[in-house]
Amino acid sequence: MIDLLPLVLFAIVCLFLMAGYPVALTMAGVSLLFAILGKLAGVFDLAFISLIPNRIYGILINQNLFAVPLFVFMGSMLERSRIAEDLLKNMELVLRALPGGLGISVILVGMLLAASTGIVGATVVTMGILSLPTMLRAGYQPALACGTLCATGTLGQIIPPSICLVLLGEVISNAYQQAQLNLGVFAPDFVSISDLFAGAILPGLLLVLAYGAYVFATALFKPELAPPTIEDTDSDVNLFVALLKGLFPPVALIIAVLGSILMGLATPTEASSVGAIGAMLLAFGKRMLSIAILHEVAIETTRVTSMVYLILVGATIFSSVFRGFGGEELIEALFDALPGGVFSATLAVMLVIFLLGFILDFIEITFLVVPLVGPVLLSMGLDPVWLAVMIAINLQTSFLTPPFGFSLFYLRSVAPVEVDTLSIYRGVIPFVVIQLMLLILLAFQPGLATWLPNLLNGQAMQ
Amino acid sequence: MNKLITLIDQTSDRLGRGVSWLTLFMVLVMGLIVILRYAFQIGSIALQESMLYMNAMLFTFGAAFTLKEQRHVRVDVVYSRLPPRGRALTDLLGTTVFLSLSTGFIVWSSWDYVALAWRIQEGSAESSGLPFVYFLKTALLILPALLFMQGVAEAMKAYSVLRDSAETQSKLTDHD
Repeated sequence: MIDLLPLVLFAIVCLFLMAGYPVALTMAGVSLLFAILGKLAGVFDLAFISLIPNRIYGILINQNLFAVPLFVFMGSMLERSRIAEDLLKNMELVLRALPGGLGISVILVGMLLAASTGIVGATVVTMGILSLPTMLRAGYQPALACGTLCATGTLGQIIPPSICLVLLGEVISNAYQQAQLNLGVFAPDFVSISDLFAGAILPGLLLVLAYGAYVFATALFKPELAPPTIEDTDSDVNLFVALLKGLFPPVALIIAVLGSILMGLATPTEASSVGAIGAMLLAFGKRMLSIAILHEVAIETTRVTSMVYLILVGATIFSSVFRGFGGEELIEALFDALPGGVFSATLAVMLVIFLLGFILDFIEITFLVVPLVGPVLLSMGLDPVWLAVMIAINLQTSFLTPPFGFSLFYLRSVAPVEVDTLSIYRGVIPFVVIQLMLLILLAFQPGLATWLPNLLNGQAMQ
Repeated sequence: MNKLITLIDQTSDRLGRGVSWLTLFMVLVMGLIVILRYAFQIGSIALQESMLYMNAMLFTFGAAFTLKEQRHVRVDVVYSRLPPRGRALTDLLGTTVFLSLSTGFIVWSSWDYVALAWRIQEGSAESSGLPFVYFLKTALLILPALLFMQGVAEAMKAYSVLRDSAETQSKLTDHD
């Protein structure tokens, strides 16, 4: 019975999280209560939590995490200075000749805005406010419009440079070292955040392509669901100006940031500062760079950064207590007991993560679950980049799945009352199918995720 | 009680808004590091470490502000559907149990750790680094102290919501 205590702890943490008190403090508080009770019952050694100050200090000085405030700054700048809004308008102008052009431009902008935040809610809400009214006015079927928006809102997690991938990369790289240490590898391999960016890009682009193809096909075969936008008279002039002024600069900025990371020219932290400075220059070019906007962006960055770091602190306390109760041994024993080896272990983890996605956001799962199961799965021989990409896409799918998906709640909160909840659910199902297909494809073709990082690393070595 | 709430809120607010400017400096300093490194092949450990201090300060002084602004992420599937009383009760219990315990524990467990750093005036492990590591480690005490302070205000806010709704309830029953 005592052996199962870590699972009881995990279940109780999840239960209390449902009450709605801030996640970081709930994780820390419940774990500490558990540790105290365990100590009183004589089954917990306080030595396990005595190293927590060291670990919190380790979080404070972790240089990889500097990318978090810098990327948030960049994304928030693009949003507050209305560069994102213009981007959407101009993209639509350029693509309006295409069947489903409006829907496709929504998808593309969602992809480009990936960096702006690590929270599903924020992207869905921003995109929902920006483009749902436009799509409905253009005559899009509400289900299609909502489905597209929900799916696009979650793209931000998988398309680099996303905060989610920065954090997941950090956790996976620790898990990978832990796994190799457990296996007695003395010259361990490293996996970096840049590797994860490189690994996520092909599957991410495939998703975008599949989303776009779905909207395109719908518009082509059932034009009544996604009618073409009515042409303006002066569209020729607009198109050129739109391309030059509204579209090119932000796209170039994001590609430059991403490119320099993937080519190994810059670390994610370095690239994120360049991206943030670039965003300020773009805002300056639009005459939108004022002290007021800078302060707004700075405050928003402070809020998001503090939120992320407090979760890191809470998760550290949780995982220390979890280990203290013998959680690692328990997880290993559970995986050993599963018939079918790596395959069924991975499947089980994916299923658990999928279900947890109904109650927890990306960052919580990254810090709550991945450090626990990561080392065990990786020491079974899985590729760390592949595993991380699978987790990211799996979570994204979870956030989209009715009736509990986060994305659906957030879109509901900004959608007009005429749009009924059922049509949001109906609209998102094709996208869930696309997600599942990609997951299966990736499961049998791991090269989709691992090919590019291997290629880039090979180049770096020569 | 209201005066104390206002005082705490204002303190957290000033600190949070004040340190938020550090994000701009972080962007600029990191940009400078990139330029120095790629254009002039100069690497400055002191400059690198200044990023670390700014980042740590941002979180240390921003966490309480974020609590005040209600921006620490919650699982709001249930919470968002609760009436004001239910939310206040969640917040009151959460603050008195989880927040107090977490912040108390961090202070208690970090005390010796920080005291040692001060006693030896701990500096950077790098020879040209900044010699203020003991200062940086003090974040482990300041962070929970500020969070606890804001927690007191949050608990009082929740309490007054509960008390007010209880009063309205009893008034309603009096009229009946």
